Amino acid sequence: MSSQLVPSSLRDLIADTLEISPDEVTPELSGEQVESWDSFRHLQLMLSIEGEYGVQFDPQQIPELTTVARVQAALEKKGARL
Amino acid sequence: MDVDLQRREARQALDRAVRDGQAGEVVRQALALLGCGKASDTMVCASAFAKAAGSLVEQGGCRRLKTYVVRSVTVEPLMPFLAVEAVLNGYVLETELGGYGSYIEEMLDPGSSLGRARADLVLVLVDLEDVCGQLPGLCADGRGGGVEAEIEETVARLGQMLRGYRSAHTGRIVLQGFLTPVVSSLGAVGDANLPYSLGNAVRELNRRLAELCRSVPDCAFFDVDQVAAGFGRAAWRDQRMFLASRLPVAAPAFGVYARALMRTASVLFRAPRKVLCTDLDNTLWGGILGEDGPHGIVTGSAFPGNSYLEYQQYLKHLAARGILLAAVSKNNAADVEEAFRLRSADLALGLEDFAARKIGWGEKAGALRELAAELSLGLDAFVFVDDNPVECEAVRQHLPEVAVVEAPAAEPWRLVGMLAGEWFFDTATVTADDVNRSREYKAQAERAALGSSAANREEFLESLGIVCTFLSATEAPLARSVQLLAKTNQFNLTTRRHSASEVERFAAEPGGLAVAVRVRDRFGDAGVVGLALARQEGDACVIDSLLLSCRVIGRGIETALLALVAAEAAKMGSRWLVGEYIETKKNAPCAGFYPEHGFERETAAEGSALYRLDLTARMPAAPPWLTLEGHPSHEFAAGSVVAS
Repeated sequence: MSSQLVPSSLRDLIADTLEISPDEVTPELSGEQVESWDSFRHLQLMLSIEGEYGVQFDPQQIPELTTVARVQAALEKKGARL
Repeated sequence: MDVDLQRREARQALDRAVRDGQAGEVVRQALALLGCGKASDTMVCASAFAKAAGSLVEQGGCRRLKTYVVRSVTVEPLMPFLAVEAVLNGYVLETELGGYGSYIEEMLDPGSSLGRARADLVLVLVDLEDVCGQLPGLCADGRGGGVEAEIEETVARLGQMLRGYRSAHTGRIVLQGFLTPVVSSLGAVGDANLPYSLGNAVRELNRRLAELCRSVPDCAFFDVDQVAAGFGRAAWRDQRMFLASRLPVAAPAFGVYARALMRTASVLFRAPRKVLCTDLDNTLWGGILGEDGPHGIVTGSAFPGNSYLEYQQYLKHLAARGILLAAVSKNNAADVEEAFRLRSADLALGLEDFAARKIGWGEKAGALRELAAELSLGLDAFVFVDDNPVECEAVRQHLPEVAVVEAPAAEPWRLVGMLAGEWFFDTATVTADDVNRSREYKAQAERAALGSSAANREEFLESLGIVCTFLSATEAPLARSVQLLAKTNQFNLTTRRHSASEVERFAAEPGGLAVAVRVRDRFGDAGVVGLALARQEGDACVIDSLLLSCRVIGRGIETALLALVAAEAAKMGSRWLVGEYIETKKNAPCAGFYPEHGFERETAAEGSALYRLDLTARMPAAPPWLTLEGHPSHEFAAGSVVAS
């Protein structure tokens, strides 16, 4: 799948935080595929996303948001405007 | 231009600058990007700075600091923010993080990862519950059973940790204090009123820790609670993320936290600026003296005059700790004198509070240059405050070393806050010499007046009645010796910025020498103004550092200091006295020091030269017009005897 399927604001935020190219940010991209996506970077990513969209995730849900698609779904569920 | 476009352009320019290795441009573009106000761009900048670290150090003048973080909490997400603040203030951090639960052994065990790190900077960031976990329980009834003992024990434990590290390492330390609680089971009223509430206990603990930091060389206390209060305590910590991930600070406060932490750390690596030059019209007072007249200018206890009064009081307080004030104004000198005389009841400062004045119609950049020469100080010790944007810009362009603060003429009440927000007068120590400084500069002017009437140099120097008192650099006091090493630029042969523990090492080791000199004359006491560090190596005594404050250069004191080192070296059995000159942008005044004293050049490399003197053939002697006092030598002799 293509990175075009990820809303551009989310795509850029993920790319910046993980220090990868926006083109790599496809819905199925996961922590396992990206070397820099370790647990601390994951925390950093969640904080950035929360700040950007004005939402707060339940900390128990945070470890499960390990693919771009899941992050996007969680945001949509919170009613965030992507 | 819309923000997204602006960001995109700044990021492209930043990438280009990183690729081209242009340090100045990297910082400029990062500032442009950060100015767009998007938190995630901080990470982009941190990663750009990491890639450009080499050029930031080599061309950008950043200082590389090996930094070790001793912690009991999650600090990883904060690190990009800290790295960015560091670069914007002239440091490139190479950071290593300690383990969560191992902070005590890291500090105490020389074989630990901290011990091995040879850090320049150690940040101790631990949470109350990891250090003093009993305290909340002990404070629950607010009556205090065991609270004092617990505080005592905590301070003792942290003291042992800091001193244990200090006894083996020279890394400079920042100890972070603790946060007072936002909520308390006693309620806000009980917390405020009961003597042993948790809030009161934490404030007492912080006060004791600051005291502890003062007693450990090269250690500063970071008052995080004060920073949190400034940000808003309620929003400072995100309890959800603290409980789930031990993240001590909420994401929106990362930048504020990193800036405050770096601001504290930076006092351990640089000296404060020394001079504040203030404009008068629409800065020190409201209105224009030349147009409004002495009775028309705005100052005094009624608004808006009290905004200016507040600024004057702030300047007076800066002067009380040794920052020199200079008035730089486009006016007639006689009008200014008249204004200070007629309006003295409405002014917090008198003309006598200014160590120097440049009142006239010349360019301000030129006036600042003249002041630097008169006060024998570098322009990088200057701060310039003026309401005129054109004057400010001219100074920025012609004298980039000067820090410029543009006074908000339409909102004079903001000026004190703007000044307080700047880092350039920050310091964790104030010595007796600092307090004495303004008086000493006035004596300098009187000396100059005498100098112009004396027939020749020797007669003039004779007439000053100069007395040099030698004392151990560890008793100068030690903080003053370190301050001299940090601040002295012009007469400083090697410009090595040693820490307190390094000075102590010179004083304590066999064959080591750490001597300071205090100078007074008939006009006043200049305080401790010179320092020499040396150590014996085989049959030579090698001078590591020799420096003298520019206020007393040219009176033969430098020769007296050298003569003392030579005499000590000979006493310790050295045949050779070895001196080194390392060239900097500023120390040309001492380039000829060793040759002038009969040293022969031994080797020379780019920007540095080694000299030596055969002490069996020639002993440097102090000039006859100086009276010498003090015998630092017993101490060194005793030190060597004990150790050998």
